[in-house]
Amino acid sequence: MVFPLAHIILWLSSWAWVARSSQIHEEAASSFFERHAISTNATSSTHTNNWAVLVCSSRYWFNYRHMANALGMYRTVKRLGIPDSNIILMLADDASCNSRNKVPGSVYANPGRHLDLYGDNIEVDYRGYEVTVENFIRVLTGRMDSSVPRSKRLLSNERSNVFVYMTGHGGNEFLKFQDNEEISAFDVADAFEQMYQKRRYNELFFMIDTCQANTMYSKLYSPNILAAGSSRQGENSYSHASDSDIGVAVIDEYTHFTLEFMEKINKTSPASMKELFDYVDSRIKNSRPGVRTDLFRRPLDTTRITDFFGGVAQVEIVPPLDSSMAPPGVSSSLAEPPQSLQSKPNSMPSAKAQTTSGNTTWLRLWLGGKTSRAWASITVVGVLAGWVASKK
Amino acid sequence: MALPPPPSLPSTLRDPKSLFFQQDGIRRAIIASYWALIILALPLWWYTTSIERLSLPSTRIQQLAHNHLELPIKICLETREGTLVEQVKSQLLAGKSQDPLRWKGLAPEVIGSADCGKYAESGAYIVKFKSGTPMSINDRELHIPSSSEYTSALANTLTSLIAPYSASSDPDNRVVQYSPHYRLAFSLLNEDAAAGDAVLGWNIQAAIRKYINPITQRLSALHNFTVESQVQFHAPLAFLPRQLDDVYGIEPADLTVFVNSAEWTLSSSSSNDPVLHFILFIPSSQRRPLRILLNDGKSRDSTAFLLPQWGGIVIHNPPTPTDAALPSQALHIVFSSFANQLSSLLGIPVLPNNIDQHSDAGVSDWQLDALTRRRTLENAEGSRDTLLSIVKLVNQIENMPVGPDVRDDVEGALSAFHTMSESASSSLAQAFAYSAQSFVLASRAFFSPGMLALLYFPAEHTYAVYSPLFASALIPLLVAALREYLAWKRERKEKLEREREKRE
Repeated sequence: MVFPLAHIILWLSSWAWVARSSQIHEEAASSFFERHAISTNATSSTHTNNWAVLVCSSRYWFNYRHMANALGMYRTVKRLGIPDSNIILMLADDASCNSRNKVPGSVYANPGRHLDLYGDNIEVDYRGYEVTVENFIRVLTGRMDSSVPRSKRLLSNERSNVFVYMTGHGGNEFLKFQDNEEISAFDVADAFEQMYQKRRYNELFFMIDTCQANTMYSKLYSPNILAAGSSRQGENSYSHASDSDIGVAVIDEYTHFTLEFMEKINKTSPASMKELFDYVDSRIKNSRPGVRTDLFRRPLDTTRITDFFGGVAQVEIVPPLDSSMAPPGVSSSLAEPPQSLQSKPNSMPSAKAQTTSGNTTWLRLWLGGKTSRAWASITVVGVLAGWVASKK
Repeated sequence: MALPPPPSLPSTLRDPKSLFFQQDGIRRAIIASYWALIILALPLWWYTTSIERLSLPSTRIQQLAHNHLELPIKICLETREGTLVEQVKSQLLAGKSQDPLRWKGLAPEVIGSADCGKYAESGAYIVKFKSGTPMSINDRELHIPSSSEYTSALANTLTSLIAPYSASSDPDNRVVQYSPHYRLAFSLLNEDAAAGDAVLGWNIQAAIRKYINPITQRLSALHNFTVESQVQFHAPLAFLPRQLDDVYGIEPADLTVFVNSAEWTLSSSSSNDPVLHFILFIPSSQRRPLRILLNDGKSRDSTAFLLPQWGGIVIHNPPTPTDAALPSQALHIVFSSFANQLSSLLGIPVLPNNIDQHSDAGVSDWQLDALTRRRTLENAEGSRDTLLSIVKLVNQIENMPVGPDVRDDVEGALSAFHTMSESASSSLAQAFAYSAQSFVLASRAFFSPGMLALLYFPAEHTYAVYSPLFASALIPLLVAALREYLAWKRERKEKLEREREKRE
């Protein structure tokens, strides 16, 4: 009786061992790339064009705030000079046309409904059920069918700075798409690596606003990536404010403060990424945002926000007759009067909506360690088989 | 139980042991057949769930990493002085070792001969010494005055003609990346035609024929061009120009945001080819003349500027009253600028200042060859890198499928690469054609839609998916087999004991 049981345990444990050892190889590879990334150092960006991929992965009316997050980012990158042809906007649902929307055709990110994010000039490239993990990875890697139109493609090259923003419901190392699938941190890391291998970016900025968002960038291993997330492992990201007429939360805390800071930035502003992160860090209360810089070559205080959110970095003046060059990379201290995104504080206490799938706590316990998970499954099978065999 | 069990079975009920399918042999056969089915189905299950990963010629691709293309450049000096030949040769070699990046992939070879004409057919460059004429080029010939001051500078001149791309010649990565097709989009933008004095039309067809076609036709071996044009009557700026005494100025910082991409529609999105934009901007009649300012606030003479890898912009301030169509003199100025911008975006090198050009061909053979060599080397490197990364990614990401189309493209790219290396010494044009083919095929293989890796699927997900499916079926089978085995063992033991007893 003991003999077959021992066999089962032997078989299962060898399986678990193989699964673990492949992970060790992955770690070795990623440490190699990290070393490679630090070897070069530069202070100013060498990009010539900017691209943005903005993803809202949640459906349904009660996820209004996720659509507002993505649309707020869309408005900002467009205002700062990335043309619509270089923005891939993926919205999993259409809150503006929802029958429960009291102001049809509009999406607002603040309780007073001051700024319509939907507006009259918006180009949603992937909408509704087109927003899938597969399509997202196809956009990043460029592995598209030849019939896909230009507006749905990320046609970046090795001189492009790419901004990838994601929002939705997530957990430890995953982000839920629609209601039936999820993208893992490994998928995102592999997609970025494929972009790096085909030189589809010069620098990449990955920003994610979801629960336990920082776990989503923990698996990245390709060079020249700057990553920022809204909350640490085990923390939830919360919404910021709700509108009593719309009836749901209208924006998430992390994105709200990011956008609030961005409203003070104009196309020629010299503000650095460090200022942005410091600002968001100091305002956000319910979670601890994170930044990952070990893959990024440049110091954050000299990396301009407009390197990722802006349009063109350099111009060259070409006199028609004389061929001497103008100095590139011009700057100015022009600053528009700051206008706040949320100009009126709302008297109503803002309801907190939790950005998580409800079962996180037990899931986290269960998913605590990789090895314990593997051993737990062996034990379950072993106990079952032993119990039946001993009953006789 | 309510009733006590009967002492023996009534005759109407049969003893379970007498049921035919409960006979030991048959029962075991039934259980064994289940197991046989499962074991036989295992290969099918394995086949249908595994990913198609055809093997790639990885070792041959790994060898490419050490295969660095060298394009030979033969230069024939039409002279009998052996010392001059040696001098030029050693100067070129010294220059090559000083700036290896500039000379990467180029292998100059200097020979001296009284009659260089015989090398002309093989694409050699010929340097002729002629007294009394200024330095000039004609086809692949360089005519140089035979005075000593020129001959001493010969190596430098040859360097700037043969290897014109140094780190300082393209500081902003102005040159667009290679593509077999480009679209050129010419736009005439009136800031506000409603304010009056707008330019409502331009003779675009004639202008393109006269200024753009000479370039595009000369480069037809390298790229295909599609040209589109448009006129817009309302194209507002996203910023307010600064008002000076009598002019309006664009600050240096505002130049980077001059293109108002949110409100200007600059090209059709009918294809995925890269687009080069050329914009003629006519300021509103209320804001003329519009000039580009220097950092100190003075206005520049130039009204043209270039966005690296994107395109060129010319600001034109028409005199009032304005003709509805752009007059030919203005068209000349504007399109000369566009032609200049196009050549620098495409990477056509600038000739050294002291060289005259004989023919009106525009782009000389020296320039075209230098550009072709640059593109050949770029493509070869791009193709090699892409092939290496395909192999690397396929090894690294275990779920990545490799279908027959990918394998064929990789094979095609590889064979084109080898053909290119072979033809590099005989024909530059052929080497370029194969390098482009190799690059296009390698990119197509990389971007093959079928290569999308399956999503991350760790072991615990495998348990989670398969256990509800198989555990319910497999555990009873497993237990049944276990019990049969134990029963069989017990029976055998009893049988052996009985036999022993019998013997005793």
